[in-house]
Amino acid sequence: MSTVTITDTEHPVGTGRRTARPVALTYAGLDLKRQLRDRVGMFFIVALPAFLFFVFGMGDDEAYGSANVAMYVMVSMAAYGAVTATTTVAGSAATEQTMGWGRQIALTPLPSLTFVAIKTAVAMLVAAVPIALIYAIGAATGSSGNTVDWLASAAIVWFGSALFAVYGLAMCLILKGENASGIASGLIVIMSFLGNVFTPMDGIILEFGRFTPLYGYAGLARYPISEGYLPIDAGHDPVWLLLANVGSWTVIFAALAVWGLRRRRERV
Amino acid sequence: MTTPALEAIGLTKRFRGPGGHSLTAVDGIDLTIGSGEIVAFLGPNGAGKTTTVDMLLGLTSPSGGTVRVYGEAPRRAVVDGRVSAVMQTGGLLPDFTVRETIRAIAALHGRPDRVDTVVERAGLGKLADRLVQACSGGEQQRLKFALALVPDPDLVILDEPTTGMDVGARQEFWDTMRAHAADGRTVVFATHYLAEADAFADRTVLMSHGRIRADGPTAEVRAAYGGQTMTIRPPADVVGVDGIDRAWLDDVRRAVAPLGVTDLEVSSASLEAAFLALTGAPETDPGPSGAATYTPTDLPTVAQEALQ
Repeated sequence: MSTVTITDTEHPVGTGRRTARPVALTYAGLDLKRQLRDRVGMFFIVALPAFLFFVFGMGDDEAYGSANVAMYVMVSMAAYGAVTATTTVAGSAATEQTMGWGRQIALTPLPSLTFVAIKTAVAMLVAAVPIALIYAIGAATGSSGNTVDWLASAAIVWFGSALFAVYGLAMCLILKGENASGIASGLIVIMSFLGNVFTPMDGIILEFGRFTPLYGYAGLARYPISEGYLPIDAGHDPVWLLLANVGSWTVIFAALAVWGLRRRRERV
Repeated sequence: MTTPALEAIGLTKRFRGPGGHSLTAVDGIDLTIGSGEIVAFLGPNGAGKTTTVDMLLGLTSPSGGTVRVYGEAPRRAVVDGRVSAVMQTGGLLPDFTVRETIRAIAALHGRPDRVDTVVERAGLGKLADRLVQACSGGEQQRLKFALALVPDPDLVILDEPTTGMDVGARQEFWDTMRAHAADGRTVVFATHYLAEADAFADRTVLMSHGRIRADGPTAEVRAAYGGQTMTIRPPADVVGVDGIDRAWLDDVRRAVAPLGVTDLEVSSASLEAAFLALTGAPETDPGPSGAATYTPTDLPTVAQEALQ
């Protein structure tokens, strides 16, 4: 070879090439920045849930379980924001693959599992944005509860939102196309109503709602506050029911994602 | 003897099509490309060029045969940064800027030090802060080329690299490529433009239906590929706004048929040359253009506007 790589200060030993290793953190940082810059996406992830919180019960000091109504609504809206975030990010990851960016990545030394890890980290970081913001608004406007209420609900909202990364991935693998991510997060709105996340439900629609994907997740997030008792005296959910809901949907979404992936590969 | 850049033996790829039919996209290719060669893969769409490229890069595993890149498995060569590619189906993220795209890929190669070099090499300096979605097809293609340069590869594989470029951009792209190859790198490119192979490759591998039909110095392959083309200039009175008068063309067809002419293609071939001369390859000698065979009044409206 006629060219010599100019000695680079970061890799003083050997040629740059042989010692070069992927810098996953830089990639994750750039990808995160790109997600946060997406105004339409961030509107649905941050602004909409904050607005809904304002509409549905910000500052409502009526007692509810171990906290107040404002706190209950705050947890619900943070859950909605977090779920929209993971759905959007995971969905866009699937769309990126369809658009051929995956092939660009495949021509780098990065192992595919590391790529999945990067995307998961980015999705979870984006999900933390609405949670942090809505909890901050809540704290400033009179949401009140004990320390366990605050910490446990935030943790469940955050970790539980990972389930919807699987959902977003599955939807975008199956639907393909540029609109897949939009459809996936649009359906989140409907599932939020049915999942008792927005307005409290009762009667037949509640019976049906118990089987929808957001019901178990939102119920678990509010469990530290409500201990399973529903608003407007609509009844009580035992913790096993909520766990069964989350477990079932995890299996269903994962199966759909695997099916979508297989179907896509066969078309190559 | 040095290790060849590329070595494929009996390389085969079969796909299972709809209804259980087996489709052989690449049918037993034997190919050796030495270090420093510039080789064109020439063939019509569907000849198996892209599938071959995918196997050379380790993106698709062969159904049969072997492929080695610098004596290694393709994936290994990719990880070592010895081979990279501009892929026809490789995509870009529309909401990254040009520089962010390069930084992201450079990070994954562990070569953040290469970003500036590559931006300069691909002539992307002025576009660096533009969003990818605001770039033209040709500019995006140049960005993909920049990404291929990131690992400082010994072998670059280009699959239809000038897709979406206008004539001027295509010229500029090949100039950049020539500069890259001048350093003694190996360049393999797939194309269906005979002219690109002709202008750039020392050696041409002609593919169709998954097989190599000819392999040799470009000039020889060209002779085998299509022979020579004859151009005739019709009399002015049969050329209207809509092109050549159809009835006259039918007369010509009938007239030449007894001579064994089976195909008559009507094209505005000189337009490309005229367009290029007008919009300017940057390094063109601005001296007297005595060779020009057109007069400005013959030019289409687009080109005339470009003049003003």
